[in-house]
Amino acid sequence: MLSSIYRGVWRAAAAHTLRTSRGPPPCRFLSTCDGPPVGLADAETIFALSSGHGRCGVAVIRASGPASATALKCMAGLTCGLPAPRTALLRSITDPQTREVLDRGLVLWFPAPHSFTGEDSVEFHIHGGSAVITAVLQALGSVPGMRPAEAGEFTRRAFQAGKLGLTEVEGLGDLIHAETEAQRRQALRQMSGELGRLYQDWSHRLKRCLAHVEAFIDFSEDELIEDGVLNQVDRSVCDLQAEMERHLKDERRGERLRSGVQVVIAGATNAGKSSLLNTLCQRPAAIVSPIAGTTRDVVETALDIGGFPVLLSDTAGLRESPDLVEREGVRRARERVEQADLTLVVVDCAHLPTEAQQAAAFLQGHLRSVLPTQEQPETDRCLLVLNKTDLLPQEQRQKLARELGRVSGLPPVSLISCHTDEGLQDFLTVLHSSVKTLCGDPLSGAPTLTQARHRAHLQQCFTALAQYQRYRDIDLALAAEGVRLALTSLGRITGRVGAEEILDIIFKDFCIGK
Amino acid sequence: MLKYGSFLVQVSRRASHLARQQYDVIVVGGGHAGTEAAAAAARVGAETLLVTQKIHTIGALSCNPSLGGVGKGQLVKEVDALDGLCGRAGDWAGIHFSILNRRKGPAVWGPRAQLDRQLYREFIQSELLSTPRLTVLEGSVEELLVTEPDPEEPGHHRVTGICLANGSQPISASSVVLTTGTFLSGSLFMGQTSSPGGRIGDAPSSAGLSQTLRERLGLRIGRLRTGTPPRIVKDSVDLSLAELFPSDSTPTPFSFLNTHTRCKPEDQLPCHLTHTTPGVERVVMESLHLNCHIQEDAKGPRYCPSIESRVLRFPGRQHQVWLEPEGLTSDLLYPQGLSMTMPPDVQLRLIREIPAMHRAEIHTPGYGVQYDFVCPTQLSPALQVKNTQGLFLAGQINGTTGYEEAAAQGLWAGVNAARWALSLPAVMLSRTESYIGVLIDDLVSRGVTEPYRMFTSRAEFRTSLRPDNADLRLTLKGFEEVGCVSSLRHQEAVRVRDSLQDALEALQTLTVSTPTWRKKLPNIHISEAKNTIVTGMNMLQYNDVSFEMLASAYPECLSPYMEFSQRLKIEAVYRPHCDLQKKEIERIQKEEKMSLPQDIDYFSLPVSLSQEVREILDRVRPSTLGAATRLQGITPAAIVHLLNYVRHTEQKRRRKQSNPQNFTNSLTASL
Repeated sequence: MLSSIYRGVWRAAAAHTLRTSRGPPPCRFLSTCDGPPVGLADAETIFALSSGHGRCGVAVIRASGPASATALKCMAGLTCGLPAPRTALLRSITDPQTREVLDRGLVLWFPAPHSFTGEDSVEFHIHGGSAVITAVLQALGSVPGMRPAEAGEFTRRAFQAGKLGLTEVEGLGDLIHAETEAQRRQALRQMSGELGRLYQDWSHRLKRCLAHVEAFIDFSEDELIEDGVLNQVDRSVCDLQAEMERHLKDERRGERLRSGVQVVIAGATNAGKSSLLNTLCQRPAAIVSPIAGTTRDVVETALDIGGFPVLLSDTAGLRESPDLVEREGVRRARERVEQADLTLVVVDCAHLPTEAQQAAAFLQGHLRSVLPTQEQPETDRCLLVLNKTDLLPQEQRQKLARELGRVSGLPPVSLISCHTDEGLQDFLTVLHSSVKTLCGDPLSGAPTLTQARHRAHLQQCFTALAQYQRYRDIDLALAAEGVRLALTSLGRITGRVGAEEILDIIFKDFCIGK
Repeated sequence: MLKYGSFLVQVSRRASHLARQQYDVIVVGGGHAGTEAAAAAARVGAETLLVTQKIHTIGALSCNPSLGGVGKGQLVKEVDALDGLCGRAGDWAGIHFSILNRRKGPAVWGPRAQLDRQLYREFIQSELLSTPRLTVLEGSVEELLVTEPDPEEPGHHRVTGICLANGSQPISASSVVLTTGTFLSGSLFMGQTSSPGGRIGDAPSSAGLSQTLRERLGLRIGRLRTGTPPRIVKDSVDLSLAELFPSDSTPTPFSFLNTHTRCKPEDQLPCHLTHTTPGVERVVMESLHLNCHIQEDAKGPRYCPSIESRVLRFPGRQHQVWLEPEGLTSDLLYPQGLSMTMPPDVQLRLIREIPAMHRAEIHTPGYGVQYDFVCPTQLSPALQVKNTQGLFLAGQINGTTGYEEAAAQGLWAGVNAARWALSLPAVMLSRTESYIGVLIDDLVSRGVTEPYRMFTSRAEFRTSLRPDNADLRLTLKGFEEVGCVSSLRHQEAVRVRDSLQDALEALQTLTVSTPTWRKKLPNIHISEAKNTIVTGMNMLQYNDVSFEMLASAYPECLSPYMEFSQRLKIEAVYRPHCDLQKKEIERIQKEEKMSLPQDIDYFSLPVSLSQEVREILDRVRPSTLGAATRLQGITPAAIVHLLNYVRHTEQKRRRKQSNPQNFTNSLTASL
């Protein structure tokens, strides 16, 4: 799944980064000229929620590209023409298909090239509730030529139009990394749920359809591959189309997605993870006991930390266990850590080496074993919580706090005692600031955005399947192309499918002898 | 036979001309890869020497007597478009032509022919003889000569020539193309016996070559297996018990230069189809203990399995057996699908379990071959061994199977060997423009785990890479950029291109209202709304409208293009789909133009890359950014970081050399 998301993202980015190799970006000057800037080949119009997630009065949704004007006109009821450029206008925002009023808010029109991206752009300032945001995003998606933006796409377009300086571009690689990571976590969350299973099932069936059509094309002249194979594909394609159509119509019901910043408590057994959860939510949500391995399943609780929505999960202690139930708990724990926006790694102080240098090395090793193996250990996505400070002598506590603070490469360290509440206030401050940073990023914890992206890809998938039907009896190569396009679109959600994978299915299902 | 005899005299005369000990290019091996390589190198302009064990087996079809097919036919058309030999040889030697997949769409049509083995060999041999700058020498190569690693560039060798087994003076060359087929440490298997060799009846090749590749050059070598069926005496088969499969009534030539084949339509021979029986399965199961080839763990192909592995993998089924003619005058049949390695007496028992062959006699028993191949990720897209300048590999030595795959690589390796020897820059073929490009890119960037064969499903842009337009895709480039195409062929391709363009223009500008179309083509149901204007192009996109129909309706503007009627119909239908693919194709081409230096030390690169990514990059050493993006486990962020680094170092280098002709320029130019 990742590679497909990645691919879309880095593609243009790489090209842009290269562009600068001619020296200072010449496009800077282009933006002052009239007429469309060079390099705006993208005919598609993209949209996204641009404001941060979390408790906010106003949300900003931005669209960029040639269809933005149409979107503005049909959603803000501007039949007579576009508003004056860069002037706020209070309008009712309606769904272009159903004419239902979704919200009342400000709209702004930024004609090219005087916009962030250099393209025609529109901003909708609407109320910050998630229902309103979802409705407006969905309405935008129904305007022809509009699709949800991929991570980093606004920035890329801005760069393309010469709206970003060289230094901003230098950071593009890191930006893409951060954004794709956020999308990856988001997608992982959805993919592990019921929706994920549904998409995976479709992908699996489409793969088989394609494999069978390809087998028929590549081998039926020499091998025993009966026409019956294609009839099976016909049925599968029909079924898939029907299911997708139902799913696409069924917009607002379906799985409720967990919203909020995902904070996961993880660590060894008996480090006090469940105690931390109970302390943070101020009620005994999880069972605590001195017995290692008490928590076996994931315990979830919704919290409000300084005004930001947080979904806090307590997980089973990470250890090798012969117990089947506990092993499953550990597997789930690891899965949660992988999907987390922020991980609280809890360590029992008593297990720390007394020497500070050694303690730092121990903690680094510990982090590696808890956090998923990544390109760069993401210390900014993690907080270290040293629990049970009440068991350490006062002076050692102070020394540890002092010296660990100086070690670079470690995430922020907090020393607390869930038993005495010592250090808790400081820890909450650290946690609050981390959550606040995360909420500034519109991509973290915003399921609607991913949902809208999925919808767009599913719609493409559905349309591509019609090509199969259309060419089935005329030109099988073009019919297969339809299935292939469908699989590529779905692959942007579930993961890319390569030619080798299709061949594997062919050789498993048919005896190819030629 | 007379022709053949005089031909041999000619060869030896040429061979005796070997006055010099120095060539631009030496090609080792005279199979499908070797012959195309030698001919291509000579066409590009290099003094070329082809060394082969036996001159009279040059161009031999070691296994099936056929050429082309689905996917493979595309390769033949492309080799022909680049002025290679196999398409024309197929037209000369074909005795049964058919276009497979005729009903499945022109993009996946598979031109195929049964061949007369002797005619094919004769054509290839006489073609090589009449190729200027090409000398053929009979001999066995004892050793490959390479320099010690360059102290400036550790681990980098350069090829200097070859040594023959007869102890004569070494022959030096700037480039050597190895096309050793199954002969690299090859062993033959039949029943419980095995013997060294690459093909029955031929001497095994020397161990020196294999040793040089392994030990001096440190190349990673793998082992693969393949097999061939027994040849059956035609008169002993009761063909009335098999299903008759006639050829196409009008043979379609492979070559863009030919309008007809040598074989007359009415002279074509048919094929026959029959099936295995439960008895066949029983014989296989009973004789497994006598069959050591099957027990070995060298990787065999999943798609051309022996009858043993078909029975083991899919028991209880009927399997198809094609009985194919071996030639116009041959008294043998080739049982396609019955490749087997059991002892000869068991082979006889097995084939007699099939009704049509219940009294069949075996002329030559089937056997298995196991052979070494060089893991192809160690090659550049020019098919040059990355750590040895001037050493090129093509054919089965790269882990592929099939004549067409071998020919395609041979041609491209020959082209680049010649260009290297003549100090011309290497040329690449993109996977977006040709099946040859798909083949080479799959080999060098992904490697192989089983013998690699071409399928149309490997080409993601197969709607654009059609057999009908191989000349437009490759002949012009082959002449202008590569130098392997004769001017005669080029002129023809230019004529075709211009005529097609004119014809499409004429179709596009032929704008007629729907009622008029309805009048002109009364049998066609036209779905467009009343009184709209519809172009000839749009009309041609209708399934049941042919170019001939349009031309008879509007002869004044369309009749000049009648010779292209089929191509125009295909163009009209496919163009909208190809246009949709264009953007994706352009992106890939851009990435493929961004070359990554081959000498980067990925482990010490001062950029933010994970150890895992560094290891992948170091192992595969992708030659272009395009290849890097297709690697499993490479993240976009890694690519951006990598690119930033390369760009900076290139800028530094450029400042030092103040030479504007470098890679960064070509990168930016491509944007």
